[in-house]
Amino acid sequence: MADHGELLDDPDFQRLLRRRSRLRWGLSGLLVAVYIGYGLAGLYAAEVLARPLPGSAITWSLVLGYGIILLGIACSIFYVWQVNRIIAPLQQRLAREYR
Amino acid sequence: MTPAVNLTAVWVFAAFVVASLLVTCWAARRTRSVGDFYTAGGRITDLQNGLALAGDFMSAATFLGLTGLAFIGGADALLFAIGGTVGWAVILFIFADRLRNLGRYTFADVVAFRLHPERLRILAAVGTLIVGIPYLIAQMVGAGGLFQALFELPYGVAVLIVGTLMTVYVALGGMLATTWVQVIKAVLLLSGGSALGVLALIPFGFDLGEMFARAAAIHPFGERILAPGGLYSDPVSVVSLALAFIGGTAGLPHILMRFFTVPDARQARKSIGYAVVFIGYFMGLTVIIGFAAIVLLAGETQYVDASGSIAGGANMIAVYLARQVGGEAFFGFIAAVAFATILAVVSGILISASASVAHDLYTRVIRKGQVSDQHEMRVSRIATVVIGAIAIALSILFRNLNIGVISALVLAIAASVNFPMLVLALFWRDLTTRGALVGGATALVVVVILTVLSPTIWVGVLGHEQPVFPYAYPTLFSMLVAFAVTIGVSLTDHSERARMDRAAYPAQLVRSEIGQPV
Repeated sequence: MADHGELLDDPDFQRLLRRRSRLRWGLSGLLVAVYIGYGLAGLYAAEVLARPLPGSAITWSLVLGYGIILLGIACSIFYVWQVNRIIAPLQQRLAREYR
Repeated sequence: MTPAVNLTAVWVFAAFVVASLLVTCWAARRTRSVGDFYTAGGRITDLQNGLALAGDFMSAATFLGLTGLAFIGGADALLFAIGGTVGWAVILFIFADRLRNLGRYTFADVVAFRLHPERLRILAAVGTLIVGIPYLIAQMVGAGGLFQALFELPYGVAVLIVGTLMTVYVALGGMLATTWVQVIKAVLLLSGGSALGVLALIPFGFDLGEMFARAAAIHPFGERILAPGGLYSDPVSVVSLALAFIGGTAGLPHILMRFFTVPDARQARKSIGYAVVFIGYFMGLTVIIGFAAIVLLAGETQYVDASGSIAGGANMIAVYLARQVGGEAFFGFIAAVAFATILAVVSGILISASASVAHDLYTRVIRKGQVSDQHEMRVSRIATVVIGAIAIALSILFRNLNIGVISALVLAIAASVNFPMLVLALFWRDLTTRGALVGGATALVVVVILTVLSPTIWVGVLGHEQPVFPYAYPTLFSMLVAFAVTIGVSLTDHSERARMDRAAYPAQLVRSEIGQPV
């Protein structure tokens, strides 16, 4: 890497950092908040979570719990797709230019 | 009540051992350099690595323990299944690319990138061994107990079999053999678990609603098992458990080492994406299996011992259910898969511990890198055999070890020492060598002290009336202490070294985002 000073100022590198950081901390924050929120709801809204869906024994607690597992999988697939589609081309261009 | 020998179990397990030894022979011929030994030359594909990562995480404790937890406590088990999935997703978001771009063999490469190389390698090696060796022993003690409960095989023999096989895999076949053992095991575990899930849902006509209704009707806790609540009673424990799951998983050295077995960051990313899918599916399925077992094992007195509790403990639920719904042959298959699981997990931990001793401590710190490839290979093989022997000896010595306590402690150390060190090294420009060292050491001391003072040890083991520290999980406090001390010491550090540490951040940032120069 001959001159990373120049690379650091490149608008594409700045855009890459911003996008990546939004994706990285946004998705992490979302999942951690949902996970902790679900755990705390078990303490403070237990009777709501224990309520069954109409006409079934399945409770909201089970639906939300499995929903969060699916959300975690969906966020991961979304992240890989976004990085491959938007961030990887920026990386490749920058790598070619500054190497 | 268990037959002394289940022929299917013996055959499936024997087939696994033969297959894994053949893989080891094949891998040994392809392991010619240090890079081959530690990371399979970086030639593992994303799907293979995804399976191996999931395999590293889905231990026998996950499969058997989570089924047992759902059987006993119902929906509380979901908190663990969510924790596993969310933890892995977060690893993907924050670590996958940067770690792969900065490291070569171990996560120490990453923290030593811009900080004082020798000092940080020593700290990372301590973090690796203090997590790896107790984890290894906990797994082997668990294996000994499982062998005993299922086959009435003496404890020491079981530990010796597991310990010898893992040492052979790693010492001869390095990371290539370890990865393939892990892949085979992951496929067996995913397919075995899925088959068990299908068989367990047939009696309910695949109607989950009916299954949950009947489970609640039979279970002594009644409707309460369909909502969480029994596991914890205060918000601090909820947050601590969540942080232990996320930071703990992300701080396990044998998992971080797998990032370096694929060719580049793109493949690392995809492999962890695969791992999240496998782990989310498997842990979600395991909880359902536990619920089904509540109904299907009810009234089956052959699984209950004289005192009225589950013979061999709640960890046996999954294998008992396999016999109940699939007969002796399927029971043997699941039991054999459980052993294969332990074998694969301990191999993964062993290779990361050996790499830490041979590469980080010996080659980098003691010999300052002045070591030939062949010499380093020999040292890593010797390290493998020595650590394997130590693990066997300690497992036999501490056979009454409380595995639950050790596993929780190990996860707390990984979350409080390794995780903050990595996060700050990767994302915080002002981290200095002194900050990392003081923060890491403080966190280690805090975790150990809080664990000793917690209800589990202070009351449960030492027999005091009241715990000094009221919470079962120390992670919330120890992780905060680690971040606070590391940041505080770094900010007040005006040494020449600190100036160098900060000045090197831009170069690290570029490399971590763009990749290694080709």
